[in-house]
Amino acid sequence: MRTAKNVVPGEMRIAEQERDDVLLRRAARGDEEAFTLIYRRHQAATYRFALRMTGNSWAAEEIVQDVFMTLMRDPKKYDATRGALGAFLYGVARNRVMKHLERLPREIPLEEKNEDGTGCGIVLQDALTPAIWAEKRERLRQVRAAVQELPVEFREAVVLCELEEMSYEEAAQMAGCPIGTIRSRLHRGRALLMAKLEIFRGVPRRASVAR
Amino acid sequence: MTCEEFEAMGLDAERDASLSAAERAAANEHAGTCSRCAALQDSWQAAGVELGAFAEDTAMAQAPARVEMRLRQEFRTRHVTLKVRRTAVIAAWALAAAAVLVGAVSWINWRKGSPNEMPNELKSTPSVTNSAGNTANSVPNPVAPVQGGGAVQQRGSAGAAASQTLVAENELSGFTFLPGAVVTDAGDAAILRVRLQRGALGALGLPVNEELANEWIQVDLLVGDDGLPQAVRLPQ
Repeated sequence: MRTAKNVVPGEMRIAEQERDDVLLRRAARGDEEAFTLIYRRHQAATYRFALRMTGNSWAAEEIVQDVFMTLMRDPKKYDATRGALGAFLYGVARNRVMKHLERLPREIPLEEKNEDGTGCGIVLQDALTPAIWAEKRERLRQVRAAVQELPVEFREAVVLCELEEMSYEEAAQMAGCPIGTIRSRLHRGRALLMAKLEIFRGVPRRASVAR
Repeated sequence: MTCEEFEAMGLDAERDASLSAAERAAANEHAGTCSRCAALQDSWQAAGVELGAFAEDTAMAQAPARVEMRLRQEFRTRHVTLKVRRTAVIAAWALAAAAVLVGAVSWINWRKGSPNEMPNELKSTPSVTNSAGNTANSVPNPVAPVQGGGAVQQRGSAGAAASQTLVAENELSGFTFLPGAVVTDAGDAAILRVRLQRGALGALGLPVNEELANEWIQVDLLVGDDGLPQAVRLPQ
């Protein structure tokens, strides 16, 4: 789910030489340390995806917990021959996200600042005046709101390709659909997103993006 | 490339690896000639910058530490429970196996031992004790031979089972003749070691301390041909 360039400094990179499937086998035998390593290796990507899709840190937290509980309860569900553990976890997270969004279709994304590191985005530095900071903050809020208002399938394409910076092939694989579908969803998602952002900016809407 | 094709493919032509070089070049050419599509591309790039800022905003996002704590706690609970359950199952199977083994060994011993024990049991007319010190099998009959199967009879070569039984001394010394006993030929007499309560000596005409009447003691009886005790000896 995350490329090497996206590795966050300070994120756990313990025992990366140990393969996930080896760790998972150890965890299945009761090795808590192995399970913890797996969790630390994959929790951030899973959480980010859930957060960007739901726009709600509580829901994202619940989804991450659910995903790893599934792995703990039935580690045999993961078949190493069928792909990486990250992709498997992404699939489980995606299902949970979809269920969550079905349950709460009209949930309004919250503007929050929590211990997960999200919500403030911009740190007030010496170079930023409070006015600039407030303006950027408002822009971020608008983008976040625009993303959250996209239909789920378009939102997924935008999150995967634009926020997670996956290639079209990777995104298609993750979403379980052909690459053409991803391209089409991304195109529609972008159009809607631009329209929403232009509305937020007060720019007159173009006819081309209204389709 | 038409405007529609450009919107579908050309907006992100540089990034889309599935496009051929020709398609990419056509997209660039179209953007250069069509002002509407060029504006659309600019707009998308501006949106891309904002999306980038949003991505950066959430790039540091991690699940809170409490999620890890909860998961680890659940992991511990789950695996400790499994471990305890596994141990209990193993213990139960081990106990069952041990019970079967003990039963099998007992049955084999019983099958082996029963033909030999039968005659011995028949020989021991009075109730018996298994060992000299064992008072658990004490009997109502105050006079009992010390060893059941190997009742100590020493008459001629009758001490064949001496290695298994408690053997009375073959010496006739130390015997006290019972009052009223008719002395017969000592060659026909037998020495029998028995355990009896001290009070039973009174029945044989000997003086007994009443306070110790219930005490179990071993005595050697000199039994005559007629089966009646003639003399008694306290070996201890």
